[in-house]
Amino acid sequence: MTGKGHPIIELKKLTKRYGYGDTESFALKDFDLTVKRGEFIMIMGPSGCGKTTLLNIIGLLDQATSGSYSLNGEAVESISKRRQARLRARKIGFVFQNFNLISDLSVIENVALPLVYSGYSKTHRLTQASSTLGRFHLKEREYYMPWQLSGGQQQRVAIARTIVSDPEIILADEPTGNLDSRSSHIVMEELKNIHQEGNTIIMVTHNPSLTTYATRVINMLDGHIDTDIKTVADRDLPQPISVRFNKKEEN
Amino acid sequence: MALLLRTHYNLAKASLKQNRTRSFLTCLGIAIGVASIILILSLMGSIKNLIATQVSSIGSNLIVVRPATHKDAVSSIIEELTSSNQYAKSSLTLSDVDKIKGLENISAVAPIAISNNTIHGDNTVNSGTIVGTNADFINIQNFSISSGSFLDKNSPDNAAVVGYSIAIELFGTPDNSITKTISIRGQKFIVTGVLEKIEDPINFNNVDLDNAVLIDANMLHSIDNSIQIQQINIKTSTTDTISETASNINDALIKEKAGDNNFSVAYGDQITHPTGSLITIISGILAMVASISLVVGGIGVMNIMLVSVSERTHEIGIRKAVGASNSNILLQFLFESLILSLLGGLFGLALGYIIAFLISLITPFSPYISLEILAITVATSLIVGIIFGLYPALKAAHKNPIESLKHYR
Ligand SMILES: Nc1ncnc2c1ncn2[C@@H]1O[C@H](COP(=O)(O)OP(=O)(O)O)[C@@H](O)[C@H]1O
Ligand SMILES: [Mg+2]
Repeated sequence: MTGKGHPIIELKKLTKRYGYGDTESFALKDFDLTVKRGEFIMIMGPSGCGKTTLLNIIGLLDQATSGSYSLNGEAVESISKRRQARLRARKIGFVFQNFNLISDLSVIENVALPLVYSGYSKTHRLTQASSTLGRFHLKEREYYMPWQLSGGQQQRVAIARTIVSDPEIILADEPTGNLDSRSSHIVMEELKNIHQEGNTIIMVTHNPSLTTYATRVINMLDGHIDTDIKTVADRDLPQPISVRFNKKEEN
Repeated sequence: MALLLRTHYNLAKASLKQNRTRSFLTCLGIAIGVASIILILSLMGSIKNLIATQVSSIGSNLIVVRPATHKDAVSSIIEELTSSNQYAKSSLTLSDVDKIKGLENISAVAPIAISNNTIHGDNTVNSGTIVGTNADFINIQNFSISSGSFLDKNSPDNAAVVGYSIAIELFGTPDNSITKTISIRGQKFIVTGVLEKIEDPINFNNVDLDNAVLIDANMLHSIDNSIQIQQINIKTSTTDTISETASNINDALIKEKAGDNNFSVAYGDQITHPTGSLITIISGILAMVASISLVVGGIGVMNIMLVSVSERTHEIGIRKAVGASNSNILLQFLFESLILSLLGGLFGLALGYIIAFLISLITPFSPYISLEILAITVATSLIVGIIFGLYPALKAAHKNPIESLKHYR
């Protein structure tokens, strides 16, 4: 990805409409949002206010009806479907409430999945997946099937799958929604570590106590932003190793 | 790209293994279709081989003239199936035989005229085969005579040579048949010779001599003027100039028939094209059954792929979310149907040969194996796999990822 000076995500007047005429409804309406590299954004809001729709559009799984979305300074409308898929494989990671692991594949194969579509050899995929699983203390579970794991373990596998290709943006839709508080805590600690390494995270949650992990908290209402509070100054946001290194030299 | 293809292949293989029974049954559908094609090709090949062996045992100085031009297999099969008599419009006449006799480098010419009539001997044979030919017939293709002698210049006009099996039918035994009388259409014939037993109902003459009565062609014409000359056998005096001799014959006949070249002159390999009309009809029917069963097998593949696509909607959603493009998904499912049909094809190849082998135990056929048949099998099954796998694969590729992700199992 190019464009150092650009915000990583920039949404302007983004609108998502469902239906026409009488059945017309808006999941997002004139939604403006600028996300800087290294932000950890928590999105809260009542059910049906458009949080999932927002993540799907940011993650290139869905398209807005109108408005503009630029990813690293590049207009998403002008990116081909094929390249959008490649961006999903390399630069964007999804974490879902219901884990979304492929039940027919072993843990390690699930983790290696994004690497399949970035064109790595099988050996490379498996070593990479294995070392990522090691980081989540799941190495002994490599050849388990997803259903043999607890919910918390499954979600950690899903997070391992997300970061295995070293993405820049992680989109998490209620990742702790199906977990007990102990598992939630472990998962949040993992996300925190990933954030500390300079990744940008946008996470939807219903649990206000988790907002302590965030650098910015957005409250949504009926397809638009209700409140938007930054808890960490932009210059204190964690940066990718390379960026941090450059900053030191400037000083 | 190669890496991606291998990955897709592995994915497809894994998913087929997960549904072993289902995959096997689907393969079986393709296998039956392919097996019947193999069976036909193998039988046709075996017929060709049989005839080729005969022709080469006769020698490389054989030329054969047949009515009607060479046709490709398909159109001749269709003609076979739609016309009751193969040589209903034979363009060859007995005067053509004399014409050919007069050309250079010819050492023997014998017509094969066929008539089917009731033959009365001690017993009666209904619709027996009567072959009208001449003394040259045995000079071209050497037959062993069991008793008596073949037709020759000194034979009376009403001499008849009978096949071994028909002799048994007519007289109960082949041994005392000589000088016995048979009658065809009221005309009496005297048996002057009995052939040795011949076991090649499939041959380049397209007549089963073991079950035929051979008489003089002119004689046959005088009692049945509707006879058709289905072939003229010619032996040349040298083998070196056989192609010139063949084209001389061709030119002479064209001149004779005032440009109507509704006949063919063949020598060498050209003689061996399958001529048995019953065999051609059976092959034609089998070919149709085979293509129908192949289509049915293909529909089986499509059906199972559609089931698989819908069962794995959630998986498709996940794959797209983690970076699979539409063409990635398309290839994954296309590989699955290709593997199914290719496995089915190879399985069918084996099955076809086993059946051909079993048939060879009770018939004169021998299973015929060639690289060509293998190539046809592989190509056919790949084409079936693509044709019937494309729609399900496209359906998978165009699934909406968000909706697919909502399909939990
Ligand atoms: N496929 C769809 N068709 C019609 N309406 C939809 C569809 N998907 C979402 N919506 C509507 O869009 C709104 C936002 O949905 P969503 O983004 O899932 O909300 P949240 O994640 O905040 O609960 C809801 O009102 C929902 O009914
Ligand atoms: Mg939601």
